[in-house]
Amino acid sequence: MEELILQLKQEIIKVLNLEDVKPEDIADDAPLFGEGLGLDSIDALELIVLMEKMYGIKLQDPAQGREIFKSIRVMAEYIHANRSK
Amino acid sequence: MPQAIKRYSCVTGRSATVDGEAFPVAAEAGDGDEGKFLAALYRALKADYPKFFKMDALSKLGFLASELILRDEAPRFVPREDIAVVCFNRSASLATDVQHQAAIQREDSCYPSPSVFVYTLPNIVAGEIAIRNKLLGETSFYVCREWSAQQVFRMVSHTFCDGCTRAVLAAWVECFEGTCEAFMMLVEQQDGLSGLPFSVEQVDILYQNTKLKLWKS
Repeated sequence: MEELILQLKQEIIKVLNLEDVKPEDIADDAPLFGEGLGLDSIDALELIVLMEKMYGIKLQDPAQGREIFKSIRVMAEYIHANRSK
Repeated sequence: MPQAIKRYSCVTGRSATVDGEAFPVAAEAGDGDEGKFLAALYRALKADYPKFFKMDALSKLGFLASELILRDEAPRFVPREDIAVVCFNRSASLATDVQHQAAIQREDSCYPSPSVFVYTLPNIVAGEIAIRNKLLGETSFYVCREWSAQQVFRMVSHTFCDGCTRAVLAAWVECFEGTCEAFMMLVEQQDGLSGLPFSVEQVDILYQNTKLKLWKS
C-alpha cells in the first residue's frame, strides 16, 4: 500500500502540473480538494482519466469521485481493491 | 476622450520587457527552453498563482505579459467592470489543439486530458487574465491573418464605445510553430493622461521596436 501511495503522489504531481510540490509534501490523509492541495473540478476530471489509464478503473458515476478522491490514502485503497492493471 | 498607452510589455520564450526596459530574469533561466524561461519569469515576478503551471503556453504568455504591466498597479484584485481584455493572434489555440489531437489519435489508447482540452479555445487567455485580476469588463479574442496595428487600434477603440470601458488590456499573443510572443498594452481613457498617444503608428512602432530589441537580446 505504501508503494502505491507514493506512486499515486508522483503521478498526481506529474499529471496535475503541481510545480514545487514534492510527494512528501502531500499528507496521506489530507483532503485533495478545497483545502489541502486545493484541486479544482478540471483536476477531478484529470484524476478520473488517470484512474482509467494507469489502473484500468472506469468510474461509472463521476459523482463517486467525491468519496474516492477524499485523500491519497482513500484513493489508494480504492485502486488497490478495484484495479484491473 | 483621449486615450493613451499607459504601459506596455513584451514576453518571448527567452526575454521580457516592460515599457521597453528588460525585466531581470536569472541569466541562465531556461537555457533556451521556452517553457523553463516562462516558469523562471513567473518566479521572478513573484506572482504566487499556482494555476499558472496548469496553463498552456498561450495563456502563460498572456498571463505573464499582464503581470508585468499590472504588478505595480494599485489597488489590485479589486473587481473592475470598466477594464476590458482584448486579445489578438494569428494561430488561435493551434499549439494546444495539436496536443489534444495527438491524445485522441489512437482508438485503442484514447485518453484525452481535460486540462489540455480546456485550453483548445484561444479566448481562454483573456479569461485567465480577467479571472486573475477580477476584471469584469468585455473580454474578446480576435484571430487575424497577421499582426495589424490598424486592426488592434480599431478593435480597442470600438471597445471604448460601450460607455463603460475606461481601460483596455490589449494584447497580441501568438504561440505556434516556433513563434512564442506576447505584446500587451494598457490603454486608458481619461482627461490629462500621461503616457504615449494611442494611435496606429504608435502601436506599430512599439510592437516592431520591442520585437527588434528582444530579437537582438
